[in-house]
This record gives sequence, C-alpha cells and structure tokens, in this order.
Amino acid sequence: MSTNAGIEQELNINVEDMDIVYERPDTLTDTRMHYCPGCSHGVVHRILMEVVQELGIQDKTIGVAPVGCSVFAYSYLDIDMQEAAHGRASAAATGIKRVLPDRIVFSYQGDGDLAAIGTAETIHTANRGEKILVVFINNAIYGMTGGQMAPTTLDGMKTSTSPFGRNPDHVGHPLKITDLIAMLPGAYYVTRVAVNNPRNVRVAKKAITKSIQYQMDGKGLCFVEVVSNCPSGWKMTPVEANKWLEENMFPIYPLGDLKVPSDDK
Amino acid sequence: MHDVQSIVRIRSGNQMVAEGALRAGCKFFAGYPITPASGIYKTMIDTLPGKGGVALSAPDEISALAYCVGASLRGQKAMTATSGPGWALMTETVQYALMTETPVVIATVQRLGPSTGGATQNAQGDVLFVENCTSGGYTIPVFTPSNPIECYELTHIAFTWSELLRTPVVVMLDKEVGMTSEDVNYMDIHDLTTLSRQRTSMSGNGMDKNIDTYYFENPEDVPSFVPVGGEIKSTVTGSAHNKAGRLQKNSPETLEVLYHLQKKIDANANQMELVKRDIEEGARTLIVSYGITARTAREAVRRLRKNGEKVSWLNVLSLFPVPENKLRNSLHGIERIVIPEENFGGQYRSVIENVFDDQDVVGVNKIGSMITPDEIIAKVV
Repeated sequence: MSTNAGIEQELNINVEDMDIVYERPDTLTDTRMHYCPGCSHGVVHRILMEVVQELGIQDKTIGVAPVGCSVFAYSYLDIDMQEAAHGRASAAATGIKRVLPDRIVFSYQGDGDLAAIGTAETIHTANRGEKILVVFINNAIYGMTGGQMAPTTLDGMKTSTSPFGRNPDHVGHPLKITDLIAMLPGAYYVTRVAVNNPRNVRVAKKAITKSIQYQMDGKGLCFVEVVSNCPSGWKMTPVEANKWLEENMFPIYPLGDLKVPSDDK
Repeated sequence: MHDVQSIVRIRSGNQMVAEGALRAGCKFFAGYPITPASGIYKTMIDTLPGKGGVALSAPDEISALAYCVGASLRGQKAMTATSGPGWALMTETVQYALMTETPVVIATVQRLGPSTGGATQNAQGDVLFVENCTSGGYTIPVFTPSNPIECYELTHIAFTWSELLRTPVVVMLDKEVGMTSEDVNYMDIHDLTTLSRQRTSMSGNGMDKNIDTYYFENPEDVPSFVPVGGEIKSTVTGSAHNKAGRLQKNSPETLEVLYHLQKKIDANANQMELVKRDIEEGARTLIVSYGITARTAREAVRRLRKNGEKVSWLNVLSLFPVPENKLRNSLHGIERIVIPEENFGGQYRSVIENVFDDQDVVGVNKIGSMITPDEIIAKVV
C-alpha cells in the first residue's frame, strides 16, 4: 500500500458530515478587505460584527466610521454605516442616537481621528454621557496618509514626521485620551483591550458585548480602546509588529478596565 | 573652474513649495497630515529645524494655521499646507489673519471635493472656495503654479506679497502639480528678491496705551508692523477695530480700517499680475490655463501649430487678483477665450466672464480624469 493512497483516503471527506465551528458572520459582507496584512482593523471589524450577530441587532445597529484607514468600513460591516468628516464621528453618532434612541449606535475611530482632530468631539460626547459605543483603534500613527506622527505616537518612536523619534520636549508625550475619558462622569464603561492574540481577542469581544448590552439598557457612554498595530506604518512584518506592540505599546497603554459601572459591582 | 550649467534633481511640486518657502525665509511651519499635501509637511519637518526654524505637528488644521499666525504676530515668516478639507477648517483663521493684517502663506493642494472627496484624485474645484472664503468678500491673493519650478518661485513670491501687504496669501496647487516628481534644473529658477514686512520705527517702553499700532495715512497704505512682545504695546483683535487695534463698532475710523483691508490689495493688483504668454499674431482663440491644465494646454498649442493653425495661450500664475491688464492686452484679434479646468462648473471661467463680459468665453470642463489636449483643441476656432 503506497503512502499516497493513505493521503487520498484522508482527504476523502464529506463536508456534510462536518460541524461548522468558525465562519464569517452574516453581518460581515463577503468582501476581501483592503487592509494591509497583519492589520488589527480586520479582527476588530469581525468581533464587532460577531457581537451584532449574536445579539440579533443587525437591523437596529448604526455605525459611524472615521476618516482614516477604516473609511471603507461600510464595505465590510453589513449594517447602516456612515463615514463622517475627519474627527466628527462621535458628533455625527450623537445626532443619530438622539433622534433614534432605541437603536444601537457606535463610532469607530482611529487615533488621529479621535485623539487629534476630533478631540473636542470625543471629550464632549463622553462628558454628555452620550449613550453610544466609541471604538477607538489606537495604532500610534497616521496610517492612511503615510505614517505621520500621531498624538498617541510613543516617545522616541520614529515616523515620517518624527524622523529622529518623537521628542516629548518638542511635541509632548503620547496623549492617553482613554484615561481622560475615564475621568469624566458621563463615561459609563471605559476599557482598553487588544487583538494581538486569541486570548486578547476574546477579552476584546467581551468588552464590546458588554458595551452594547449597556447601551441596550440605556446606560451612558462606553469607550473601548483597542491598542493596535500598523505593520505598514511601523515598517515591520505583522509578526514583528505584534511583538513590538507587546513590548512597547502595552507598557504605555496598559490593557484592562479604566472605569467599570458602579452598579455593576 | 567651470561654470555650473545645470543642477538637476528629481523633485515634486510639494517639495519645491517647501524649498521656495525656505528660500523666502520661512522660519515656522505647522502641518497636519492630508493627501495630497503631506509632502510639504514632510519636507518642512525634515529640513526646517536644521535651518534654525520651527516645524510643528498640529492636532488639526485649525491649530496648524493658528500656530502660524501666532508666530507671524511676532514677525516670523510662517506657512502651513493643506488640501480642501483642511482649508475648510482653516477659513476661520484665514479671516483672522486678514483682519489682523498678519502675513501668512497657505499652500493648498487641491483634490476632488466636496467634503472628504477623493484624496488621490486631481481636481481644480477649490478656486472659488479659496477665493470667496471671507465674510465681507475680501480678495485673497492666490498663486497657481503648474510645475515644480513655478512651485518654488510662486511660493517665494507669495511670501513677498504676504509680507508687503500684511495679508494671508495662498499658493494653490492641484494634486498632479503637487505630487508629480520630475527633473528640475535649479539653474532655471529666476533671480528672486526676498522682501519682508516694514517694521515700525516707533519706540516705546511697552506700557504706552492707545498707540495706533495699525496706523495708516491713506486707505491703500500698509501699516508698519508692530510685533507682539516688543517695545510697543501691541493689541490685536479679529473684531472690527480702530487703528489702535481695539474693538470698535461702526466708528468712521473702524469703517476706514475695513475698507483699507481691501484697498491695500486693490492698489497693488497691477503689480501682482503674473502670467506666462505665448501670443501668436493672427490667432482667433486664446487658451487661458492655470495649474495642471497649463501642461495640457501647452501640448494642445503644439499640436495646433504643427497643423499650421494659429492659437494664443496665456497661463495664469496669479489667479487672484485677476490679472486683468495682462489678460486684456492679450486679446487683440481674439474672438474666443477657451478655459480648460478640472471642475464641472467652470469656476475661473465664471470669473473671467464677469471681467470680460463682451468676450465669447468657452470652458473645457471635466472631473475625475485629466483634460486631454484634443478636448481643448475641439473648442479652438
């Protein structure tokens, strides 16, 4: 009996008999994403849409995308999606939520969008206790425009506009906007997660599930920072980027809850 | 020893804007990432600190221009660079700079609008948006280069006029002009004279109140500059003000200041006129171009003449104030003006039609892709 025969036998599998353990949720479109290899956006898109599917809220969820790499989020998230002007996502989400209070509304923003040009909108949305979810993708760089320094760029980190590394004497230290948000009474649940390994993906998904449940219960603003990578902007391979993320980003942006609801023990 | 005949480098229009600014003595730059203008930001960040200047990353375009105005209030030559969406945010401080007579240069590299539009698509749709951005309808001088050398020269000239007139001046590129890299022979750059604003000859102890820091004799005169943090107490406001720079409502002096802000530009409009001309005796059509369409127009002219047809061409480098005299004296024997523009409404055409209302003005308009020489040729008589 040749070895080949054994392989052929093993490949002779009837798909009908198999259990599906993992598949694309119906809430994600069947589209190839444009994101770079190793980018966190794809994973966050997926867990967000898994939660929407699991909670059965596809037809009542409305998202607002930023200007940045995720401008095309509407191509992938199969729900009502808007792309707001740069920095204005949480303001646009406010308008939507105020006229449709029974819908689940979220904004999805990068660090340039949320923590630079949209700082005022972000702070005031949180301070008003707007009953929306803000998903904050922090990869410490402007990815789409060519890797410029962002407000969240780490001290000493080289970018195209900090060629000698970020100099805090010149431009200050990275802005930990999530910590600021957690200080505001209007913020209900504030947490920092990552999607660099399966364990962290599960934690991140749980945070998003909790946030949407809080919103369904009419609670205040939920803010989920996802400490993310940017292999292209960081000029690293995806594996290197995830290693760099753990070694350099996590000490500055430590994972964990920054604010948990007081009535949630 | 041998004479240098050429120093050739590959440069983009954006890089040459930055280099022209440095040549003009720009010592302060603030920027925010935006395609297709990021190359100016990047070049300034890379080079300005080494030349003793300050290059700062701003959290948005509102701050970027405000930083520049702050630096210029002290007397530094300052510049920022953006595109349509960033220009939208800057219009507040553009008006503030105009009202406070603070020189500042803004390079804006057009992309397809409106709103976020098409970041990587060329357009010439910001002509009226840039020019008509003020409450009150003041003239914003706008220069429009069509190649890297002109980017260098016109940025330098923009600084000159900004300094001399104490007003914001715009260098308006389009994406193709800003982001296309080509060979640049530095020996082709014309001699440029660097000029700076006239500074006050007054002296003081910093405590004198009510000095007319914005004093002018005639409305078209430009007041000498009193820097903040200097010997003379300086008061600056974006509100309507008298010649002491203090808020005042509807006084004859305040209204005089408001007229003066426009008259100082009108009085210098003739001198600001800048065009390149290729006039052919006997031509019945004048092609008027600016920005990237100049490159297409040149090819259209070449093809027409190759076929023995007569045509004249004028490329506008100073878009606003409208170079009325140079346009007018290019119209001998002209029966039709053809203006190719990468916008659908014919924005500069509408301006030209107003100025030359007895002329047959025809547009070649398109968005989404570049105008071809043949599309221009089809409109030539």
